[in-house]
Amino acid sequence: MSASKYTDNSAVKRFKAAPARPPLKQNRGVFHILRQRCFNNIGNSVLTLLILLGGFYLIKGMLDWAVINAVFVADSRRQCMEISPDGACWAGIISWFNGLIYGRYPIEEQWRVNAGFMIAVAWLLPLMSKGLPLRNFVLLSWIGLFPFLGGYLFLGGQFGQELGLLHGLMTSLALAYFVLNYLNWGLHKLGKQGLHEVFVPVLSQWIQRRVHLTSLLLVWGALAIAIAFGLTQVSLPSVAIERWGGLFLTFIIAGFAITMAIPVGVVLALGRRSKLPVIHWLCLVTIELVRSVPLITVLFMAVTLLPIFLPADVEFNKLAQVLVAVCIFAGAYMAENIRGGLQAIPAGQYEAAKTLGFGYWHTMLLVILPQALRMMIPNIMTSFISLLKDTTLVSIIGLFDIMLMARNIANDKDWIGLHTEPLVMISILFFVICYGMSQYSLNLEKRLKVDR
Amino acid sequence: MNSRTTTPKVSSNHGLLNKDSTRATVIQAVTLGLVLFTLWYVFANAAENLDRLGMSFGFDFLSVTAGFNISWSLIPYDPSMSYWRVFFVGVLNTLVLSFAVIIVGTLIGTIVGIMRLSHNPLVSQLARWYVEVVRNVPLLIQIIFWFTVIFSTLPAPRQSYHFFDWAFLNNRGLYLPTASMSISGWWAALLIAVAMVSLWLMRRWSANVKRETGKHPQAFYFALVVWGVAVVISYGVLSQWLSWSIPALKGFNFSGGAFLPASFGAAFVAMTVYRSAAIAETVRAGMQSIDKGQHEAAFTIGFSRFQTLRLVLIPQAVRAIIPPMTNSWLAATKDSSLAVAIGFPELVSVFMQTSINQTGRAIEIISMVMGFYIIISLLMSYLLNRYNERVQYKVR
Repeated sequence: MSASKYTDNSAVKRFKAAPARPPLKQNRGVFHILRQRCFNNIGNSVLTLLILLGGFYLIKGMLDWAVINAVFVADSRRQCMEISPDGACWAGIISWFNGLIYGRYPIEEQWRVNAGFMIAVAWLLPLMSKGLPLRNFVLLSWIGLFPFLGGYLFLGGQFGQELGLLHGLMTSLALAYFVLNYLNWGLHKLGKQGLHEVFVPVLSQWIQRRVHLTSLLLVWGALAIAIAFGLTQVSLPSVAIERWGGLFLTFIIAGFAITMAIPVGVVLALGRRSKLPVIHWLCLVTIELVRSVPLITVLFMAVTLLPIFLPADVEFNKLAQVLVAVCIFAGAYMAENIRGGLQAIPAGQYEAAKTLGFGYWHTMLLVILPQALRMMIPNIMTSFISLLKDTTLVSIIGLFDIMLMARNIANDKDWIGLHTEPLVMISILFFVICYGMSQYSLNLEKRLKVDR
Repeated sequence: MNSRTTTPKVSSNHGLLNKDSTRATVIQAVTLGLVLFTLWYVFANAAENLDRLGMSFGFDFLSVTAGFNISWSLIPYDPSMSYWRVFFVGVLNTLVLSFAVIIVGTLIGTIVGIMRLSHNPLVSQLARWYVEVVRNVPLLIQIIFWFTVIFSTLPAPRQSYHFFDWAFLNNRGLYLPTASMSISGWWAALLIAVAMVSLWLMRRWSANVKRETGKHPQAFYFALVVWGVAVVISYGVLSQWLSWSIPALKGFNFSGGAFLPASFGAAFVAMTVYRSAAIAETVRAGMQSIDKGQHEAAFTIGFSRFQTLRLVLIPQAVRAIIPPMTNSWLAATKDSSLAVAIGFPELVSVFMQTSINQTGRAIEIISMVMGFYIIISLLMSYLLNRYNERVQYKVR
């Protein structure tokens, strides 16, 4: 009975909405927002005025100290005080600038540090082009090969003498890969298929089979041998690790921690979720133990206990000990991030992979981990930021990172007692880097957001 | 080769090595073997190295006289005491520092976190930049900044800042008055216990009354009266036995009262500021996780903004905040080890640095220090998990 009532359209008057009225004029504009949010009652108005006043004096005080009354050119702290007693003495920082960046690395060899960092960045540039053949290998080789090349550049030494045979070979392989990497990128840019296809026609005439990766490996090996012969001819003066320092050392430790965190973390996280009790408990205990102690105790342990736990003839410098400690520490924290990602993957993904006949490693590497890592990008970036901040702790055990270099300025006889300016300067540096990283992570999160 | 083509062997796929269970056993056995081998290798090396250096392993050094001074300790300490005492001094100093940081840092962090959600853009931006600046600068830099730039440049003892000549602040630290009683503390403890028990009874009674009559007896005011009476009585009774010890300048230093060193002050301020920024983020995230409808419902029934916060938002947000807050507190405990950089005598500083240098018993000392931190973190996560279970929604 009611159906007929509602199906009879003709009886219903067509409803037509009136056009929306514009908002009241008095509710718009800056003044309205100010009145509504900053001066809506007495308490809030007082608060607003107080903050404005405090902010004004804070900014004025900082500007006065850091810019207006500051001294940029002086020979010593005393001279700074004479020119302007209540301003910052940036002259000390300027005269120690080289030390803050490179530590006590010899000045005539500093180009090697610059070259090393430029190669490290250049190595990753091909990642910018999507659809590059062998794209996965760029990052893998950066993790696996670049450290040897960097080590060679920073340490120096003659191939076959100070430089060990393995280290030399890996350096040559790294350099060869770097060249191939750019050839590959260039070919891709020119619209060719990529490097591994180029050598196939040449080689297939000799061995009568189309071999893709093997041909590339052969070319890579040949190039590496040529480079190794070249390396025996040049000799870089060796620089002892004790002379490394400053921002350079901070970046080495942080970079190592950041690159090793993910592989170690993945292994630990997968181990923790393993169904095999021995592996599960081993990884669980490792993760929980490392996470419940402060980093400084892990560093102390590495410095004092590693020499005891290894045979007496193994030589271990402090940097290597610290790198081992930082690597384990970073890995344990990363493992918990990755485990969070693994747990968030719906069971359907595992089942689908199983249905396709994937084994454990294929399921993990091709299906689960890519999703888990992507899901955890914000947490991973937060971990990276705290790793970078934590590298300052190595100054406590006596590595001359940027923190200890900055504190050392106050011990220089010309700049004795100059504490504030170096600390402010490195605080600003860390702030810029860490804030930039966190903003980048927000950006990345938005871009990579996957809607299920 | 040939047999493969002629006789189709089904069993090749079901061989012993292809069974999942066999494979699992083999993998685990190999892993276990590797771990055991590594452990054996490490211990064999350690034994050999210790032998070579003429050292031995054992905890007997703990009863040996330490012989070095510790600048500040809660319990009486002098250099003639044993390494056990040093360990406890370090543990107590670590606990005091982290406890103070946790309490004050949580308070400030909660306020800053709520400020970030303020409607007043100036207030929320102020809170935002406080958090951004503080958490993007390494804690170690902040600790050293507070120590070398602020606390070490305070005036010398003779020109110290003072609060009505009761408390003094100078470049050595903070001097506070202390009260000491000439009668045994048991009487005071008894009074406090009586007040506590009466408060508890009052609460039970008021809850009973409310359940039966539906009326709310003003238990709070009763409790206030009980406490007021207790305080007045206790002060009246105890004041004749009470004597104040006020710090006074004698020669180059202060004597009397309690003393907090400048390194404690710097570590405390820096860590509190750092922790408050982390907690502010936790609180903000927790508050933002509450559904918008809750704000609107509270607005609809005429709650003020403060009432909305206190009665609607905070009780719900607590559930989302507690798990990350636990981690933050644990991190505060671990961060207290950074005070070693400015020479505050906490566990890492007195035990892991000085004692290792003195005795060379690295393995024992490091395992004791790590054991302490592991126990603390296990204990704290256990307690907060229990609490967490209690406040979570009971989902039926």
